[in-house]
Amino acid sequence: MIDAIPAFTGFGLGLRAPHHQAFLDAEQPVDFVEIISENFMACGGRAMRTLEAVRERHPVAMHGVSMSLGSPEGLDRDYLKALGDLARRLDPLWVSDHLCWTRVGGLGTHDLLPLPYTEEALAVCVANVRRAQDVLERPLLIENPSSYVTFPESTMGEAQFLAALAAESGCHLLLDVNNVHVSSVNHGFDPCAFLDALPADRVRQMHLAGHSAGPQGLLIDTHDAPVCEAVWRLYAAAVARFGPCATMIERDDAIPPLEELLAELSHARACAEAGSLAA
Amino acid sequence: MTLLDLQRAFRAQIAATDEAGPPDTPGMGVYRNGYRGRLLAALETTFERTRRWTGPEPFAAAARHYVLNRPPTSWTLDLYGVDFPALLEMLFAENPEAADLAWFELGLQRAYAAPDAPTLEAATLAEAGYADDDWDRMTFELAAGFGQRAARTDCIALWSRLADAPGDAAVAPAPIPEGRVLVWRGGETTRFRWAEAEEAAALDRLGRGEGFAVLAAEVDGARLGGWLGRWLGEGLLARAIVSRSR
Repeated sequence: MIDAIPAFTGFGLGLRAPHHQAFLDAEQPVDFVEIISENFMACGGRAMRTLEAVRERHPVAMHGVSMSLGSPEGLDRDYLKALGDLARRLDPLWVSDHLCWTRVGGLGTHDLLPLPYTEEALAVCVANVRRAQDVLERPLLIENPSSYVTFPESTMGEAQFLAALAAESGCHLLLDVNNVHVSSVNHGFDPCAFLDALPADRVRQMHLAGHSAGPQGLLIDTHDAPVCEAVWRLYAAAVARFGPCATMIERDDAIPPLEELLAELSHARACAEAGSLAA
Repeated sequence: MTLLDLQRAFRAQIAATDEAGPPDTPGMGVYRNGYRGRLLAALETTFERTRRWTGPEPFAAAARHYVLNRPPTSWTLDLYGVDFPALLEMLFAENPEAADLAWFELGLQRAYAAPDAPTLEAATLAEAGYADDDWDRMTFELAAGFGQRAARTDCIALWSRLADAPGDAAVAPAPIPEGRVLVWRGGETTRFRWAEAEEAAALDRLGRGEGFAVLAAEVDGARLGGWLGRWLGEGLLARAIVSRSR
């Protein structure tokens, strides 16, 4: 078991298909790349050769979307095996997934669905995180998702739930700053209070992304737009609270030329520097 | 309500048809739209040229039918459309090109990303110096992502013609060849071709683990030798396995 997540504070981008050739052609000014784990699990051929070539140049973080940590039915054994095989192959910086559930009764949803923040859900998540960490032989990073509903059954807030999960399972946290902003608007909570409720020593990575306007004032986590000003301000506040932290920009739709994302990443570096100075 | 009950009810609501009524809240509507949108997008991505062939509206109707009746079971969306060609076969009975083309596109996608397998080279097989007794006990594993279909239309030609077709531009139906379509990956290259029915049947039997000697007892030696040479040249075989027991 790898006990600790490495102290890594670089700036990275998601490795997405439209940019594969650019990463193969030349070294890009990123400190790491993040992959969607499922895109490379049980996968070979050109996609895997591309990832292996990029891995020669850059550290890789593995970010999953289908572990379904909030499933009371437990984790999928085949999924965990394929994820573990990929982790052994890549030796990633870390492996992350979301505080959510994605399947029930053998049926998938391909979405990051919200949990009620109850003691029962906490026990389920703790057990599942522990099992995944045992199989992967490393601590996980767990990300706060965007959400569009809340549950009357909840007995604690999302940040308190994450703090308890980290304390009881030994996992670390991936703070998605955009998701905090989106959920704070959707549910009317104070995003800075959310940050204050997280254990500072557990946050190891931050995500930045864009969102879009949905029905009836809801914000939707679409990853199809540049990071907005409110998220940049919250990011500076997060850096001030948590200190320098690995940061990456997620863009999964309407993906622009790589140069545009690199410029946005430069802005993140400047923003983090300002946030660190303000701390 | 237990967490499991809550999740079952939640999933039922986001996967429900519109006839079941609107979602309880705008937020549930976001999840319902997201669920449908992701599955529809996965089908449009996998079956891009099939959509060009059928036209976007007929394709969308078929895709909506599929999404409402075939909930995903895998953690990867790459496999979501695995039964879509069969649905097209039923819905587009007068347009058999649609199902053949969909199968071909799915086959290309699966072969492209299939887990790596070695490629058995002719020289490797020759250098191994197998004795007659070894050949009697030999089986072959097929290449990564191998699949075959008794297509009724020339989906390979149609797929190629649709590569540059703008939108819904009509493309003349391709003539119908004899045999089966083969798709596989050799190294990093996705390959495909037509094969006569007997050759495709031989590959099917090898793929199911049948011994080479069984084929050799039934197929003309020169013909089988010709096939074997071609399979080795095209990277259709991954490895030769000589069983230790008879």
